[in-house]
Amino acid sequence: MKTTAISVSHLVKEYHGKNEIPLRALDDISFDVQQGQIFGLLGPNGAGKSTAIKILTTLIPPTSGTVTVNGCNVVSQPLEVRKNICVVLQENAVDSFITVRQNFLTFGRFHGLTKMEIEMRVEHVVEMFGLREVLNQQAMELSGGMKRRLQVAKTFFVNTPIIFLDEATTGMDIHNKRATVAAIKEEARKGRTIVLTTHMLEEAEELCNAITILNHGKIIAGGTTGEVKKMGLQIFYLRLKFVEISKQLEEALKHLHPMKMEISNSAITMTVREHSAALQALSLSQTHGSLTDFEISTASLEDVFLQLIDGKKASVQP
Amino acid sequence: MTHVFAVMYRDALIRRTSLMWLFFDMAVPLLYLLMFGVGFDKAVGMGIIINGSTVNYNEFFLAGVLSMSCFGSAINQSYGFFHDRETGIFYEFLTYPMTRGEFLLGKVLFQCLMSIIQVVITLTAAKFLLHIPLRFEQVPLTVVVVMVGIAGWFYALATGAFVIRRNDTFNTFLNVAYFILMFISSMFYPIESLPPWLRYIAYANPLTWHTDVLRYLTIGIGELATIGLEIGGFVIFLALSFYFAVRALKKAV
Ligand SMILES: Nc1ncnc2c1ncn2[C@@H]1O[C@H](COP(=O)(O)OP(=O)(O)O)[C@@H](O)[C@H]1O
Ligand SMILES: [Mg+2]
Repeated sequence: MKTTAISVSHLVKEYHGKNEIPLRALDDISFDVQQGQIFGLLGPNGAGKSTAIKILTTLIPPTSGTVTVNGCNVVSQPLEVRKNICVVLQENAVDSFITVRQNFLTFGRFHGLTKMEIEMRVEHVVEMFGLREVLNQQAMELSGGMKRRLQVAKTFFVNTPIIFLDEATTGMDIHNKRATVAAIKEEARKGRTIVLTTHMLEEAEELCNAITILNHGKIIAGGTTGEVKKMGLQIFYLRLKFVEISKQLEEALKHLHPMKMEISNSAITMTVREHSAALQALSLSQTHGSLTDFEISTASLEDVFLQLIDGKKASVQP
Repeated sequence: MTHVFAVMYRDALIRRTSLMWLFFDMAVPLLYLLMFGVGFDKAVGMGIIINGSTVNYNEFFLAGVLSMSCFGSAINQSYGFFHDRETGIFYEFLTYPMTRGEFLLGKVLFQCLMSIIQVVITLTAAKFLLHIPLRFEQVPLTVVVVMVGIAGWFYALATGAFVIRRNDTFNTFLNVAYFILMFISSMFYPIESLPPWLRYIAYANPLTWHTDVLRYLTIGIGELATIGLEIGGFVIFLALSFYFAVRALKKAV
């Protein structure tokens, strides 16, 4: 049976600068996150992702709307909410005067772990995130990427039912991104709910069960990752290889109105909207050219994302 | 309560990384007393007349030193917020499973623990180096009053730190506030020696209340009725500071 871990209803957040019109960072957004889900909040810079995370984690109050986390209201029961969560904020956050090990110790204490539990878990996450060599170093001596690792590792160190990760993998190398992704998947399997924001769409595509795309504080798409990918128009990506490319073929393909088309000396890559167009492109390639190889795939989340965001822009601009 | 302890534990870990800081934190009131106090003691050779009795300057200044060190401890502790903001850990703290009040309480209790050592060092030196006739039976109460003082000033300054947000602006604010509070109070001289208009301001200054109570406890100078009023005043000041600090912390992001 599905249980709702997070419920956001008509959430609005306005920032009041000095004597200006308030900035609406979140404009009437609603979504639910089910328990055990990996939920992705996506959107370009300034879309309102971090603002949403800050409200969900009781750092800032909403202007209006209702938000509950594990059944607790973020405004009237902030402490109850905080008992259910742990958070990686977008900004780096390490306790710089103390060692990496002591960072784990204090974090564990704040989350009610005993010294024994802490010692045992430190071993596990330190291995996972490659922090062993720096365990006894002062946190302020760490590089930016290392600090991020420490911050993220702390989250997998306690067992609150819900984890928030705001751009958690930013600044990490491939190896640690992998570790983070693996850790996230493992925790979700255990039944923890994970809310993450990212601008790395591949990452979201690989990790998330459900996705909500924000733009200018509004939800422009939402659903399961499959649904979002299927959203809007069907988009196909084609890669065609030839011995030689004729002008005639080029013209014929352009008539299919591709969204994007690139020609190199022996290959054409193009993105088209309808699956009929994809089939037509193939048959044209065969009749007008010497097709040697081809590849068709459905669009990545990134294509959908860009299209949604461009579409939004196009409808606003004259 | 575990969270209050966690805050204290973290502060202890940090303080331990800088022994020099720890040393000066402990020794500053003592140094003040020895250098400043002794100098003035010589200059004001015939002593100070207060409430009809004459005391030498060292005796008079002891309470001032104690209340000054409370203010200093509060400054130290409130400055930490700027560093924590810069590293970002401040914001993470606010997502930990504790109330804003618990966070602030842990901060103060740690500083209070440190102050016990501070008070003991200062009073011991006062007694055995400067031969100030202390009322030893009052030492436990003195420690309590020192703690209350630290709490009052810490919450007031923390409110400032949360609202002002900028390190440099806070610095200026502190300099001005400290200067005015210190010199329009009973810290360095009896209030009676101030011109009347300044005297009224001094009577409204929590630093005066706190110093007077400490003076009463250390050398027994002061009228019980006034002291009672001053205790009441300071407790109200503490309650208000705490209220505003929690409020400001809720809006500190
Ligand atoms: N404290 C703040 N005061 C005023 N405006 C803010 C504040 N924080 C964010 N904003 C604005 O709100 C919008 C959303 O920001 P944010 O939530 O950080 O976006 P994202 O995380 O998606 O990049 C941006 O236009 C940003 O400039
Ligand atoms: Mg952000």
